[in-house]
Amino acid sequence: MDLASHITLAALGQQLLVGLSRTTILFIVSSGLSLILGVLRIPNVSHGSLYMIGAFVTYSVATLIGGQTGFWVALAAAPVVVGLFSLAVERGIFCHLYEREHLMLLLFTFSLMLVLGDLVKLIWGSDYRSLSAPPMLQGSFSLAGMPFPRYNLFLLMIGPLVALGLWALTNKTKIGKIARAAAVDREMVAAMGINVSWVFAFVFCLGCLMAGLGGALVAPTQNITQGMDHTIIMEAFLIVIIGGLGNMWGALLGAAIFGITDSIGILVWPQFAIVFPYVAVTIVLIFRPKGLLKSTW
Amino acid sequence: MKRKLWLLLALTAAVGLALGAGPALAKTIKIGLIDCYSGPPSTYTNDVRDAFKLQMDKVNAKGGIWGNKFEIVTRDTKFKVDLGLSQAKELIMREQVSMLVGTINSALALALADLCQREKIPFFATFSKSAKISGEKGNRYVFQITENTSMIGKAAAAGLAKKPYVKYWIAGDDYEYGHAVAEGVWNNLKKLKPEVRLLGQSWWKVGEPDFTPYITAILSAKPDAVIVATGGRDCVPFLKAAQATGFNKKVPFYMHTATELATLRPVGKHAPEGVLGTSNYFFYHPDSAANIAFVKEFKDAFGRLPTVGALYGYITAELVTQAYQKAKVIDTEKFIDAIEGLTVQTPVGPVQLRAEDHQALLPMYMGVTKKSPKYDFLVADGIVTISPQEAAPDLEEIKKARGK
Repeated sequence: MDLASHITLAALGQQLLVGLSRTTILFIVSSGLSLILGVLRIPNVSHGSLYMIGAFVTYSVATLIGGQTGFWVALAAAPVVVGLFSLAVERGIFCHLYEREHLMLLLFTFSLMLVLGDLVKLIWGSDYRSLSAPPMLQGSFSLAGMPFPRYNLFLLMIGPLVALGLWALTNKTKIGKIARAAAVDREMVAAMGINVSWVFAFVFCLGCLMAGLGGALVAPTQNITQGMDHTIIMEAFLIVIIGGLGNMWGALLGAAIFGITDSIGILVWPQFAIVFPYVAVTIVLIFRPKGLLKSTW
Repeated sequence: MKRKLWLLLALTAAVGLALGAGPALAKTIKIGLIDCYSGPPSTYTNDVRDAFKLQMDKVNAKGGIWGNKFEIVTRDTKFKVDLGLSQAKELIMREQVSMLVGTINSALALALADLCQREKIPFFATFSKSAKISGEKGNRYVFQITENTSMIGKAAAAGLAKKPYVKYWIAGDDYEYGHAVAEGVWNNLKKLKPEVRLLGQSWWKVGEPDFTPYITAILSAKPDAVIVATGGRDCVPFLKAAQATGFNKKVPFYMHTATELATLRPVGKHAPEGVLGTSNYFFYHPDSAANIAFVKEFKDAFGRLPTVGALYGYITAELVTQAYQKAKVIDTEKFIDAIEGLTVQTPVGPVQLRAEDHQALLPMYMGVTKKSPKYDFLVADGIVTISPQEAAPDLEEIKKARGK
């Protein structure tokens, strides 16, 4: 087997772009996780379940309305539904638990994951669901002689927009600044007369909304099924850890490392591609055990 | 004192009556259905269970076998080997089931094959496709109803050898099933067509979310054809990525379950056309009266079309009831003697349970995916039947493997 012959510059560039479009999804999901981890100090294990619910809601809304508008409406509606749902969970249950031990919170999010998994099974059943992208995003175009899916290009455009939006929200708005302050010293923020509880609710809701958005965006490319939650949550946690706990730019960097090593690995050494991102994670953790960027913890 | 004695006597009589009445009533034959009924694999296993129950209910409604009715107890293994194994033990010891049916997880099936041999309880593997079940790990108490990886390999190789492709790429799920299918297809293909060449392989983890990077990497290697050894829930996203990248139009590929309803229905009209696949069953093929009746009955009962799992459930139920019918007594050893070599009528024609290795010999259908005006999903077109004799595992090889 001659390995090198098919690894052309065009092929490498192609893999890089495909890897970056995967990065988009990973970033969107793990930035939400990182946000909650940074401000609320909760490792939200049920984050993946909310991502799964986002995908299922997208499916339901898109098929209910139908056609191209159905998809766009669903893409907007799913994150909102997930966000509102998580707000209800936060106000109903979570907010009574903040004073508890850390382990209790972890256990709670874990049980929430199990409950949500069963909830999805109750509502949507166990059949595979699949959604088509709108016609304008279907198929692929030729990029240096290689096919590049239109939908992946769409993801590549969405990614920077989301990152920019998140940055603006946390750095340019008042609530964002308060949230960042609460991440550093919640008692001080409370002493300033700010209702920290509602700041937490906002951050939790926003973080979960990101999970829902990630789920909505992958819906047309994937099998919408139970088990989606487990795959993403592991990757998202790894990304957050290598990026630096609670650091949003760290999540972006971690997602890029994960997505690109994955796609390049597939080209260079396809038989063992599975290990590439994990090797990258291991290397990062050996040299920077606290993550690449500054952790808020 | 006297009164106490009377009371004691009355009690003894009552107990005696209760005990005596027991054997006078017909015995129930308990069957343990043990499989993953939650999570992604349930798309396949629910059909096995439902078709099996449907058939057993019919037998019970007619008075059972010699007045003995069937009772079905189900357990959800959640795709976990350790959980499934303890549930199987519980079914055998506490529920005292006469046999076990199920398991889509090959690892669990192999563990149960071992357990059932020790406990002397028949076990019907309905969906796990490891060739070891009726091959080297097979024993007197294990029966494999579904086609196995060795049969898939033989059938696919027979089909692919007729095509002009020489340079191949192999890609698949990095677990037992994926490797077994890939190896089966490749080894048989090399035998039939020695000039074939393997350019490379890619293996992904089960549940891989995005296949685009794999497909673009394979395309850059420019193979003549690709053997995709993926099963279960990965089929749908793979087909989607194939459609998005135009993979099927650039390089022909074979994927065992590509034509199955469980794979094609969720992708709808946007599934790629021209993908080569093999399957044991389609609700629209064969176009026989038996199949039409089977589809109607299943649809009336459950409101959905039967997938290949329904056929496996049906065959298992038929084999079990007819073996009891033939054995004439409720006895495990006589039941096994009766079921070995038994042939039952099924929606795909007569199917024999081979006496030597306990493998059900099902025909295999090879076809390519094609849009259909009748349905809102793709169907298999240009179906070629590969007879059970062509695809059946070699008995000499099994003997050698078991002898080791």
